[in-house]
Amino acid sequence: MKLLEFEAKELFREEGIRVPKGLLVSEHEEILLHMDELGDKVVVKAQVDVGGRGKAGGVLMADAGNVVETARHLFHTPIKGVPVARVLIEERLAIEHEYYVSIAIDRSSKQPVILFADAGGVEIEQTAKENPDAIRKVTFSPLLSDVPDFLLRELTGDAPKGVRETINRLYHVFCKKDALLAEINPLVTTPQGVYAADAKLIIDDNALVRQGIAVNRDLTEREKEAEKHGFSYVELDGAIGVIGNGAGLTMSTLDLIEHFGGKAANFLDVGGGADQERVKYAVRLVAGMPAVKVIIVNLLGGITRCDEVARGIIEAGVEQEVIVRLAGTNEAEGRKLLAEKGYRMLGSMDEAVRAAVEVTA
Amino acid sequence: MIYGDKNTAVIVQGATGKQGSFHIRLMNEYAREVGGKGVVAGVTPGKGGQEVCGVPVYNTVKEALAEHDATASVLFVPARAAGDSIMEAAHAGLDLVIAITEHIPVHDAMKAVAYAGLSGCKVIGPNCPGLLSPGELKLGIMPSHLYTRGHVGVISRSGTLTYEVVDELTKAGIGQSTVVGIGGDPVIGQTFADVLARFEEDPQTKAVVLIGEVGGNLEEEGVRSTDLPIVSYIAGVTAPPNKRMGHAGAIIEGGEGDARSKIKRLKKMDVAVASRPSEIPGMIRGLL
Repeated sequence: MKLLEFEAKELFREEGIRVPKGLLVSEHEEILLHMDELGDKVVVKAQVDVGGRGKAGGVLMADAGNVVETARHLFHTPIKGVPVARVLIEERLAIEHEYYVSIAIDRSSKQPVILFADAGGVEIEQTAKENPDAIRKVTFSPLLSDVPDFLLRELTGDAPKGVRETINRLYHVFCKKDALLAEINPLVTTPQGVYAADAKLIIDDNALVRQGIAVNRDLTEREKEAEKHGFSYVELDGAIGVIGNGAGLTMSTLDLIEHFGGKAANFLDVGGGADQERVKYAVRLVAGMPAVKVIIVNLLGGITRCDEVARGIIEAGVEQEVIVRLAGTNEAEGRKLLAEKGYRMLGSMDEAVRAAVEVTA
Repeated sequence: MIYGDKNTAVIVQGATGKQGSFHIRLMNEYAREVGGKGVVAGVTPGKGGQEVCGVPVYNTVKEALAEHDATASVLFVPARAAGDSIMEAAHAGLDLVIAITEHIPVHDAMKAVAYAGLSGCKVIGPNCPGLLSPGELKLGIMPSHLYTRGHVGVISRSGTLTYEVVDELTKAGIGQSTVVGIGGDPVIGQTFADVLARFEEDPQTKAVVLIGEVGGNLEEEGVRSTDLPIVSYIAGVTAPPNKRMGHAGAIIEGGEGDARSKIKRLKKMDVAVASRPSEIPGMIRGLL
């Protein structure tokens, strides 16, 4: 789950990373009372989860004279379609130099990886494409509790010591908060020291519980509903509803739909133990999408009981046609139950997907 | 065989849970069928002294190993304690841990795999179905009735999709040497490259099916490391960016790890790439 800038900065501050003095406000909140603490010149930043927020008009310069108007403007201007509920007003720093730093997990080496660039502030993907040598990279053992200083020196070159200290503190945040990504862009030097001018933190969804985060805000309502039942669910924009067991098999079903000229409406992995109740609920959830014209259920597994799955599909009793591909135990009974109610149960993935595509053609 | 054979004796961590006890029974049924040693002990903290399906349960791996000569562990421990259990297995001297558990926080997996590596302990998974060498050894939860002995190795990031492919191979009369599910998480112990290196040393394996998916570039890395004939299949051609497709590792991030560019890179390395699972048997037959 992605944290917003002000949330990430709060966690940075706890770990001793310097962040600009700031004031978080919702609409109609008193701003001027607190302006003394921030100084005359400020930056007004929309707190939305949008990439390229600055370019999209979500970060504005202001002073004591027009800060209220500037904030009001942001509250009434969605950033790339996302409405602004909160605005962060920060002191404007006297920036000497900007750097880029991020810590992520490198799948290849199975270690933390730190990326550092001498020029911060711009989009790192662009730098990576245009000038890959400008980005330095180190990986190190995840069993260490600090980033070794020799690696930090290798990484940051001539940058001041405060930059190295900040990166090590960022690594502490990265570990303590179960982050998949911890990024400061830009990390700035000022006469007052080193600051995280911006902050990005993505928390591992598998660690939300121990991080005390009850609800994953990145999910849509339907995705949240699906998660409650232990399903993995992603909404797409086609007309063929898909229910599978296992991520790979379900993805493969989606691809096969495209291969035969159709378009999937969703990805739904019911996970292990596809029993009657879960299947019923999954079928109803997918049928609830207005665009869905036909549903394909593709379940394969040694321990999946086909008769239970069949009962679940029948009990769901949805309007759309449900085409079934089932392999597991009690296959014959499942087939019989489905046939009695007029459902098509086909022997292979290819056949079932073809049949579903024909319905929407 | 790779990773083990009939003589591999196994412990199960998380033995007394629903999953653990169910699969102890299935693994031992398979061991009896092929004349293997199977699961000799279970471990669940606080449940020492009990029995599960005729298998004695101990409080710690160390206690289990004091009574039994096992070399591998299959792990069903709940996610929050699974990283710790992997380290316990490695610390007690086991050579191989198969981590079936899903939803392990990635920082835990990363630390556990690194810690296990210090004592040379190999980790398969997490979030995997384990491995099966037909006629020899089953470590994990794969449905053995779909498998038949032969010369094709299979490596996959997925579970049920692997069964689908194995089923297609068996129906086409193509047997398997060993089938390994390496797991669907961003950080996994044994990668495609590691398993391919084992297949290279295995005289039984003549060709390999490599089943990958969106996210990362471990498929390409694996293919680059071997001279074995390979047929590959990559799931997730239609996966949208920045959405997790069921597996924690199946996500296209920062414009990287999408299926189409993965397939393109594999084809550049002269790997045959199937466009759907049902094409795999025909393609692999051409390589045997």
